[in-house]
Amino acid sequence: MLLEAVGLVKVYDTRGITTRALDGVDLEIGEGEFSAIAGPSGSGKTTLLNMLGALDVPDAGLVSLDGQDYSSLGAAEQSELRLRKLGFVFQAYNLIPVFSARENVEFVMELQGVPPAQRRARAEEVLEQVGLAGLGEKRPLEMSGGQQQRVAVARSIASRPRLVLADEPTANLDSKTADSLLELMHQLNRDHGVTFLFSTHDPRVMEAARRVIRLQDGRVVGDERKAAS
Amino acid sequence: MLLRLAWRNLWRNPRRTAIVLAAVAIGIAGSLLSMAVNYGMVDQMVRTAIETELGHIQIHAVGWEDDPKLERMLADGGRAAEHVLASGPELRASTRRVRVDGLAISARGSAGVAVMGVEPDREPAVSVLRDALLDGEWFGQSRLRAVIGQALADQLEVDVGDKIAVSVQDALGELTGGGFRVAGTFRTSSSDFDRSTVLLRLAEAQQLLALGGAVTEVVAVARDDDEIDALAQRAVKSLGGTAEVRTWSELQPLLLYMVQTFDMMAWYLYAAVFIAMAFGIANVLLMSVHERTREIGMLRAMGMRRGQVIVLVVLESLLVTIVGVVSGLGIGFAGALALRDGIDLSAFAEGLASYGVAPRIAPVLRPSDLLIPLVVAGITAGLASWWPAIRATRYRPAEALRRS
Repeated sequence: MLLEAVGLVKVYDTRGITTRALDGVDLEIGEGEFSAIAGPSGSGKTTLLNMLGALDVPDAGLVSLDGQDYSSLGAAEQSELRLRKLGFVFQAYNLIPVFSARENVEFVMELQGVPPAQRRARAEEVLEQVGLAGLGEKRPLEMSGGQQQRVAVARSIASRPRLVLADEPTANLDSKTADSLLELMHQLNRDHGVTFLFSTHDPRVMEAARRVIRLQDGRVVGDERKAAS
Repeated sequence: MLLRLAWRNLWRNPRRTAIVLAAVAIGIAGSLLSMAVNYGMVDQMVRTAIETELGHIQIHAVGWEDDPKLERMLADGGRAAEHVLASGPELRASTRRVRVDGLAISARGSAGVAVMGVEPDREPAVSVLRDALLDGEWFGQSRLRAVIGQALADQLEVDVGDKIAVSVQDALGELTGGGFRVAGTFRTSSSDFDRSTVLLRLAEAQQLLALGGAVTEVVAVARDDDEIDALAQRAVKSLGGTAEVRTWSELQPLLLYMVQTFDMMAWYLYAAVFIAMAFGIANVLLMSVHERTREIGMLRAMGMRRGQVIVLVVLESLLVTIVGVVSGLGIGFAGALALRDGIDLSAFAEGLASYGVAPRIAPVLRPSDLLIPLVVAGITAGLASWWPAIRATRYRPAEALRRS
């Protein structure tokens, strides 16, 4: 199993008001999956994704990637795990505005210490895969939302992570751009074996996903696997 | 990569960065010029003392420093000392002198003076006294001539060509005196020296003081300031316990103390300027980091370590400070260059002369003027950025990403 979560609990206490965002979530994600965590706002999708991506720590329960338990890792080792094994796509793109598209894509590889020529070649290859060939020197603010999200996808897969976690990746996009982006990620999954796990409440994403894990009030209330298309 | 990111982050808000840069640059330029002018003044005081009277080193008979009496003289006329000095490469020039306290008397007044017997042909190589001639000539050809300070001439109410009497106690302890005609008057940058100095020919002073061929001091100047210590050490080594060798700073420790005080002041001045700036830099960084909380969360999510984020913020602080310091030094150096002919303070000439300072002060820049601001700026920038840097990493990535 690529990713495994057991009994995840996360409680937020905001000015004395306690919210149980995750209430004992068990989950397994296999290699090559194209899955979505679906649910209404406040169901705990983003919180769950944060726990799975080692961006936050649960109050109870365990998460492991490739059998490596997050709770056994220090902060620096968790950074290393995110750097080497995980890719992220955020709803608001979250690109570095002072870097060009190519530099954004190269960023994770730079952190990994990949030699310049190698990472440049890989960045150009990935930008071509996401349909942005020739736009590498543009800065994020010179690009449309759809193009920026494609750069974010390119960045997330450039270093060939084990798993890409995408938090509401289509939420800020119009339907045409969202469809195009979904098709792109589907293609990356199909042709290059990239494992994707989305959080979403977008019906198009749920429809595109081969597995939909339904979350409500911090609990898994459904896990639907579709036949391979 | 961190350096590139830090540099570009600086220019996200060009106006804000420009304001910080301007504050640092103006602070540095002002401090640099202020220190350069102040040090120019101290440097001139030291130069005046060296060039009018002290030389770089002086050699006396043993015991002279504690009790400068005529019986403590260099009986060989300073020949051995001059031989030692001339045997190395550091010496530019030397001369011999006789020095004794006395009284100068004219028909209209009298004054306590230092009577200095000098070698007229060699003295100009170690002092500026001949060049400082205001009126008359440098001894001339006739016998029994004196060259005196213009301030002394004014006090005695004498002009060139007038006669003065010089009264002294000779080497035998007898009060004696002689008449000398004023050959010339000089004006140096030291009004004290001008008010209290009578120059006689060495041979005539030796005769007046019954010294035979003896002198009281050998004065030498090195080719370069850096060679003074080597020259002095060689003299000490060769002359051993037979003579006292003193550098200008040992002869006038107050001057050395002033130089050291101004060196220390430079550190305090730059520290004060940068402590004030540190608050501005910290404030700007705090704003910048606060605005980028979410982006920093993203950087952490991508795998950037906490330490790397701290380095990024510290680099941003260092870059803006260093660019500001370099600009400030450039402006300061340009200002000093523009003022290289000196600032005219002739309106305060009299007051300045009492401190041995000429009415025109040229700024003096030293290597430390470059080093001190860079060192102080580097430390300040690092300290100023520490708090913002720690704040930048206080959230876990998920929490930072939630903040807008």
